[in-house]
Amino acid sequence: MNVRLIAEGEAEACNDFYNRIYGKKRSLRQWKWDFYSTIYNNPRIPFAVVEDGGKIVGTQAFIPIRMIDEDGVFWTAKSEETLVDHNYRGKKLFEQMYQLLFDYANKNGLAYIWGFTPATRAFKRLGFVIPAVTSQIFYPFSRRSIPPLLERTGKDPGLVKSGLFGIGCNLARMVSSLRFALNNPMRAGFSGLELRTLESAPEDAGHLCERFIRQWGGVTIYRDTAYLRWRIFQNPYLRAVMRAAYDGDQLVGYIAYSLGDDGMGYLVDLMIAVSEDKSYDANDVARLLLSEAVIGTRNMGAHAIRGWRVNDHPFDAVITRVAGSLGFYHIRKGHAVVLYCARDAAKRKASDQFGRWFVSRIYTEGVFG
Amino acid sequence: MTRAAEYLWIQIRDHVSRFFSKEATTLLESSRIIFASYDQAMHTRQPAVVIPIDIPAPVEPNTPYRVPFNGTHLTPWNPLPAPSQGEWQALPDASAPLWYRHQAGTITPAWNLFANLFDLLTFREERESQARDCHGRFVARFSPRYREGLLEVPAFNEGAAALVAACAGLRRNGSPAFDLEDLVGPPVAVLSHDCDILAGNDIWTQLIRAHRIVQPLKRARLPRPGNLWWMISNAILPKRFYFDNVTGMINLEREFGYTSSFYLLNGSGGRYGARSGSKLLPDLIEAVPEQWDIGMHYNYDTHLHHERFQTQLDELNAIVPGGIKCGRAHYFRFDSKKSLPFLESFGIECDESAGYSDRIGYRCGIGGCFQPYDAASGKALNIYEIPAVIMDTTLVDQYGEKSLARFRYLMNHLGCIGGALSLIFHPGNFHNPELRRMLGIYHKLLIECRQLEVQSQTPLALAISA
Repeated sequence: MNVRLIAEGEAEACNDFYNRIYGKKRSLRQWKWDFYSTIYNNPRIPFAVVEDGGKIVGTQAFIPIRMIDEDGVFWTAKSEETLVDHNYRGKKLFEQMYQLLFDYANKNGLAYIWGFTPATRAFKRLGFVIPAVTSQIFYPFSRRSIPPLLERTGKDPGLVKSGLFGIGCNLARMVSSLRFALNNPMRAGFSGLELRTLESAPEDAGHLCERFIRQWGGVTIYRDTAYLRWRIFQNPYLRAVMRAAYDGDQLVGYIAYSLGDDGMGYLVDLMIAVSEDKSYDANDVARLLLSEAVIGTRNMGAHAIRGWRVNDHPFDAVITRVAGSLGFYHIRKGHAVVLYCARDAAKRKASDQFGRWFVSRIYTEGVFG
Repeated sequence: MTRAAEYLWIQIRDHVSRFFSKEATTLLESSRIIFASYDQAMHTRQPAVVIPIDIPAPVEPNTPYRVPFNGTHLTPWNPLPAPSQGEWQALPDASAPLWYRHQAGTITPAWNLFANLFDLLTFREERESQARDCHGRFVARFSPRYREGLLEVPAFNEGAAALVAACAGLRRNGSPAFDLEDLVGPPVAVLSHDCDILAGNDIWTQLIRAHRIVQPLKRARLPRPGNLWWMISNAILPKRFYFDNVTGMINLEREFGYTSSFYLLNGSGGRYGARSGSKLLPDLIEAVPEQWDIGMHYNYDTHLHHERFQTQLDELNAIVPGGIKCGRAHYFRFDSKKSLPFLESFGIECDESAGYSDRIGYRCGIGGCFQPYDAASGKALNIYEIPAVIMDTTLVDQYGEKSLARFRYLMNHLGCIGGALSLIFHPGNFHNPELRRMLGIYHKLLIECRQLEVQSQTPLALAISA
């Protein structure tokens, strides 16, 4: 068995391995979009494979992602494609692939490795920490939102419980509608900004991200034009709808939302940076953009819309507060965050404070963005 | 070459340039393809494809059969008589041949390729039939192909694909091929939306709901008061599930990287007319992004009526940037002899009216785009027809739970032979809890399209892509 980085021409074999194990039909184009970043200019991508007799039997990848903190932009990586053929389990292949990738991270200045998983034990053994568990903000449109929600738990609620869930959902829906009707920005008469649908990545996206960090502090993905083009506008699965708020020519914020194949609406990303001299504040813009996402996904036929709530980053707190006033509920159910600090992490301020990260669903670096 | 043969050749060539690779177009144009009499075909002795043009075909399809081809099956009908001389070989086999090949390299189709395709593009079935429904339409059940179960066979596409493969094989090894390798492009979806109703509070829609409440009483069943809910909710929020769905559909299509066209209904009102009037049209036009097309949904009473059509067109031209260039007839009111020259005279460049209201299917045997034949001049009219293949409720009424599977089959088939499928989805059927059976269907159809790597084109873009 040979544990090494992917060789040229092995993309198809790796994708076939994934499709075989998961019974999926991911195309080679989708694989390439996932792992060949248009931003990361390194001919050797951090994609480890285990090859046995010419056959791929294990994969582990990093997707290099730039992040930004008060000191500037730096590289990190999202852990992805953790997969070992069940016939090869128990041979420490996962650890060997990771060791290779940790070396890669140290050599290439990837400061953090992060990901989301329900299976945390193996990651802990490798030195990852579990700094948080994602939770959700949730706005129901119909009782059909219940099966996708329950499906994630893997439990069959049975007829009676399902009926009760239905009644509960209808009540929750009514309360949400009422709250939305009372608090949406049209009712409040807020109209200081122009809303536009973006057909391409905005040129000043990076600038917005920099202002975001100046306003809210902490760490987040550096969503510049190149990143949004890659993850949103060139997404071969779903191209999230992006609605942006402009004050004159200045991009004040945007929201990205999608309708998933399961019929659920997904709040993919939300960024806002407002200077203090304005007549409106971040709460106003958040209310405007979240309302757009609610109406937008509802008109697309979504059963519900949900987004992530991860920690106490100041902007996360704003979203949660505004979402609550618009009729969203907070559901404490999600996946564990796994975080590994590589050698370059020590160079960052507050490297061990995950509470300072602003995390949205765009961090999944998958189907939604 | 006769004018009819010349016309058909141009339609085949344009079709190939739309749905096949450049290499396939070059291959087709550089191959020796001869349209000739059956007798000449039998006596040609050179590497060429010779298509007989003098064998009349019956209107009723005769002896359809299936031939494996490029991962799917072709369904030719009206087989031609097998050559009597022993030097001809039936390919792929004598029981279901697609071609006869002479040892000198001559290839001739085993079915009446020319007559079948020409008859379909020129609406022969309906020209020779007097049958019409109460709206004056030639509906699917009147078609002889309906009785034979052939309405969902894109015969033109199959003929063109067979021809391309034959040319490729001829070039490769002197014998027709039965696969297309990389010559065929991805299937295309032509998505469109007839905006019949944009607000659910018009008098006709409300009366229909009221009627639905008491309708069961006629059959001694309990009334359906649930319809009251929709009457009240649309009275309060008229745009809900109608106009609002337009923005939802655009966003959904944008998410998949697709575009579509919206056909606007204006002009006179009434049960069959523009129930919502014209007041919401400026808002709708503003909501439709630049990459999407806006066309005219020819009102019911404008059918072959010059003044009414002109009035409707003028009203739309005044508010649609760039004017109206495409459209579809409300209720599919379409006269196979008169409608297309009529539309051409108004400057309509692309029409999607040649579809069925009662079944899904290829009314002209083509999944794609063609220029109709003008019998008087023997040339193509200056208008493109993209026959509608699937209408939302028709698909679900016809196939129920198997609707998605059927759609997948049709798209996959086009993926193997090249072509486009024109799909109509009304905004009012997109996300409307009043029509539970339609909930989520459009989304699922687009998911199928993504999985089959379908590309989308608006009608105008498709028409000019040749």
